[in-house]
Amino acid sequence: MQKRSNSRRILKYVVSAILFLMPVAVYFDVPLYNVVNPIFAGLPFFYWFQLVMLPVSALCFFIAVLLLESNEKEKSRSS
Amino acid sequence: MLDITGWIPFILAFALFIFLGFYGARFRKGNLNRLWDWSLAGRKLGPTLSWFLLGADVFTAYTFVAIPSLEYASGAIAFYAVPYVSIVFVIAIFTMPKLWEVCTKKGFVTASDFVKARFNSRSLAIAVALTGVVATLPYIALQIVGMQAVLSIMLSGVSNASTISEIALIISFIILAAFTFKSGLRGVTLGSVMKDILILLTVVVVIIAVPLAYGGFSNAFSGLSSAKFQSLAGVSVPAFFSLFVGSAFALYLYPHIINGSLSTKSRKTLRRSLSLLPIYSIGLGLLALFGVLVYAVPSALAMIKSFGSGLVAVPALIVTTLPPWFAGIALLGIFIGGMVPAAIMAIAASNLLTRNVIGEFRKLTPEGEARLAKWLSAAIKFIALGFVFIVPLTYAVQLQLLGGIIILQTLPPVFLGLFTKRLEWKSLLAGWAAGMISGILFVLIANNYGALSTSDISTGIGLLYIGLIALGINVLVAVLGSLLMKKVGLFRNGSLKDSDFQYKSEEA
Repeated sequence: MQKRSNSRRILKYVVSAILFLMPVAVYFDVPLYNVVNPIFAGLPFFYWFQLVMLPVSALCFFIAVLLLESNEKEKSRSS
Repeated sequence: MLDITGWIPFILAFALFIFLGFYGARFRKGNLNRLWDWSLAGRKLGPTLSWFLLGADVFTAYTFVAIPSLEYASGAIAFYAVPYVSIVFVIAIFTMPKLWEVCTKKGFVTASDFVKARFNSRSLAIAVALTGVVATLPYIALQIVGMQAVLSIMLSGVSNASTISEIALIISFIILAAFTFKSGLRGVTLGSVMKDILILLTVVVVIIAVPLAYGGFSNAFSGLSSAKFQSLAGVSVPAFFSLFVGSAFALYLYPHIINGSLSTKSRKTLRRSLSLLPIYSIGLGLLALFGVLVYAVPSALAMIKSFGSGLVAVPALIVTTLPPWFAGIALLGIFIGGMVPAAIMAIAASNLLTRNVIGEFRKLTPEGEARLAKWLSAAIKFIALGFVFIVPLTYAVQLQLLGGIIILQTLPPVFLGLFTKRLEWKSLLAGWAAGMISGILFVLIANNYGALSTSDISTGIGLLYIGLIALGINVLVAVLGSLLMKKVGLFRNGSLKDSDFQYKSEEA
């Protein structure tokens, strides 16, 4: 029982780490979005892609924070 | 020039703003004669208000003056601000809740309080405090430049516009100083809600209406022959990258941002608010695009050219494309968008001066501490105002670049100090000094000892942000020094325990 909740906790940590790092990794890869095409609403890809990644970042960070919270709750309950 | 139907809503909305500022004193009332109550709003800000207050730091004159004017002049490189305001919140999520925890447990009000206890060193705490104050001053000046940009567009064509503008700024600052004095962070927070609603509204209206009326962004981009507007030139990629990484590390070291983080009600509130802030940043990205959009609007372009600087790009676009009544409200949003951050910054800087500089040499009573901080926060505002009147407009913007480089040098004691106790104060101080000197030196070299126009220096791999290079030198000195001190047995432990950082879930 203890073991199962432990591995679930580790899984939550790993998923939250991925969620935090995903937007960072995308923004770090500048050549990925440093292109003009495809153009959307008159905006080069460079601009609109970076804008679209902002709400994606917020969604990732928020879910990651919720996962961390649930882990902390469990930890303080078991101790 | 804005006509009378624009001035009336501007003035009415300004009156509402002043009312909110003074009303703040009654809001979640506490004892305003205590420094932490005045400057941290009694640590009573819930999720919505703290989201607005933390977001207030995203919408400053940096957002609607510095970045759009960079986009207007230099194109795609200005968009470094977008990745910056996404990844900055990852850094904040891993540092600020921890800092909040230790500060709340120990009754700290500033990052410098924390540094003093962590490393058991007064000198290091004073160095961190003074760096914060010095880096904040040009940031306040930048806010005033933003307010000036609004006024100069509103008054363009009036015969003695610059005198009227200076008088208007002085009056605005007297009002601002009065309500900050009385209501502290509470009044400013209510004002920041109003400012953010107005700015968001303006951004949405302009970004939809202007492309529809003026043939879209494709029209704006097609008028630009230079490729640097479409995407980054190869040589600019390292500069773009190091600018957004460096800026992201710098933001949560600024005293006013730490102050805002510490004013939230709980650690949970703080962390959740931070995670959702990239939504706020969309507004910043769209405002940056105003710097390109002006190329589609000939009358706005003419206004900028006659003013001689892209600093007025956003107000010029507002006044030339929106109906006067709405332009008045929108311009007020931008105007108080400079005022609110200026007030927050002045509160934070005065906190540092009171507690961590003057308080180190003179014993202050709790009332005396609060009183001194209130007067200093007023004084700092007027010093910044005087500075803007004396030095040329563009100079304030350039000094803000320098501010970013020097605030980064407080990263090792503040951020690394949250995670490790293996660092030692003398080495940290040496690292700080090495970072400051090398940073300033590189800035002088990169600008050929002339006027400051760039914060990037060319290296083997292309242009790099100087702040990041200086930080590297700083960390290297601090880490090597600490290892050496440990080896020779001169290591001095701080007074904080690991349990002071530990988080206990509220439901436990």
